[in-house]
Amino acid sequence: MKKSYVHIKGTKDGLVLRLDDQCAYSELVEELERKVSEGGIDGKVEVQLHLGNRYCTEQQKKQLTEVVQNTGKMRVSKVQSDVLTTEESNLQFLQQKCEIYAGIIRSGQIVRSPGDIVIIGDVNPNGRIEAGGNIYVLGKLKGIAHAGVEGNKEAVITAAFFAPTHVLIADQTQTMSNEQQFVLKHREQLCAYLNSYGEISYSHVQDVRKLRPFLNTFKGGS
Amino acid sequence: MGEAIVITSGKGGVGKTTTTANLGTALALQGKKVCLVDTDIGLRNLDVVLGLENRIIYDLVDVIEGRCKPHQALVKDKRVDDKLFLLPAAQTTDKNAVNAEQMKSLIEGLKQEFDYVLIDCPAGIEQGYKNAVAGADQAIVVTTPEISAVRDADRIIGLLEQEAIGAPKLIINRIRKHLMDSGDTMDITEVTSHLSIDLLGIVIDSEDVISSSNKGEPIVMDPNNKASLGYRNIARRILGESVPLMKLEEESKGVFARLKSIFSK
Repeated sequence: MKKSYVHIKGTKDGLVLRLDDQCAYSELVEELERKVSEGGIDGKVEVQLHLGNRYCTEQQKKQLTEVVQNTGKMRVSKVQSDVLTTEESNLQFLQQKCEIYAGIIRSGQIVRSPGDIVIIGDVNPNGRIEAGGNIYVLGKLKGIAHAGVEGNKEAVITAAFFAPTHVLIADQTQTMSNEQQFVLKHREQLCAYLNSYGEISYSHVQDVRKLRPFLNTFKGGS
Repeated sequence: MGEAIVITSGKGGVGKTTTTANLGTALALQGKKVCLVDTDIGLRNLDVVLGLENRIIYDLVDVIEGRCKPHQALVKDKRVDDKLFLLPAAQTTDKNAVNAEQMKSLIEGLKQEFDYVLIDCPAGIEQGYKNAVAGADQAIVVTTPEISAVRDADRIIGLLEQEAIGAPKLIINRIRKHLMDSGDTMDITEVTSHLSIDLLGIVIDSEDVISSSNKGEPIVMDPNNKASLGYRNIARRILGESVPLMKLEEESKGVFARLKSIFSK
């Protein structure tokens, strides 16, 4: 009997389709199409696709997802692969890196970083910082700060003196108007973050530990 | 070998040309050989402020395009015994008639002959600015205590920091004490902490500056004026002296003036 390329496994998070990583891609698609149309499933279920050691382009991943979802009974929640290209791996590395900029970001200057960024200095009005991750300003933030440029909703912006003209986190934008009473009253040591409703909120930097516990990478201490 | 200093601001109307004329004259009065270069091609007026307009024969573009030698185009200011010269800008062409490389070699040539070459920069950050900065070793940023001028100064400082020249120095011009005291303009500490560069000096606003530049006679020629003192102090600091910052307090009024101010209330 021919070896099966698609294994269906039930887990507590739903069905997992484990796809063989040695066969040809076209054979895999055929087999998958056949397997999912066999039926025997009632109602709509969430499935995950595990690709093993196969590298699939975004387009191929999309095709596999469509094949599964065309049955109308399954919804793909995640496509997972054990391999990355060097490019993706480098990008991930950069996104986790924390860059340091020592100096003043002046009017008209833009400082960009794929990961987190620490500014040792001020951000003057019309100066702009864009970071894929978090922004930490050790001086006065008086310009524009955009954290989570690529859509990271967990990103935070902190500043020793918090007086920006615009605050942007992921796809949310807020201009500093007189309505931001909290910020107007407490300029010192503030942080901005997205609350559970996805709106930009402000708090004291001391609260970052509670709001984003995973930011703490330091172990130990007494 | 002299030093080339560009005087710039970003915003127009803050007093670049007045500062260039007065610093140049003050340095010449201290016995240095000074050349002022007007790079505001198309809108020249350094010659007018110095009162040398009707003595111009050749200009900067003539020198760069080889129609004359640099020394033929230099206009001598006779008031400060052969120490002060002006290289006027052309009025008929525009700023794109010159490029940064040409400016650089011109300034390089002038530096051989003069102790100080002061370059008056046009407003803006386009070609004219790039030309003016190209040949400079040092930069002076002029601002007034207004927010708009400080914003533009901030932008210019950011651009200057990317050039291969010394750290820019700041002059705060046209200070009006009563507005600073009432908080209607930024005060000196606010401006310096915002821009965070070294303060070279302050100049108090004086109506005499306007009348003197209309007469074509730089205010530093008048030793008793407060603005003149500001410029003289800056010139001394450029020469390496350490001069304390001018006090802003007004001189104690005479008895009659005090009586007058009581009755006018």
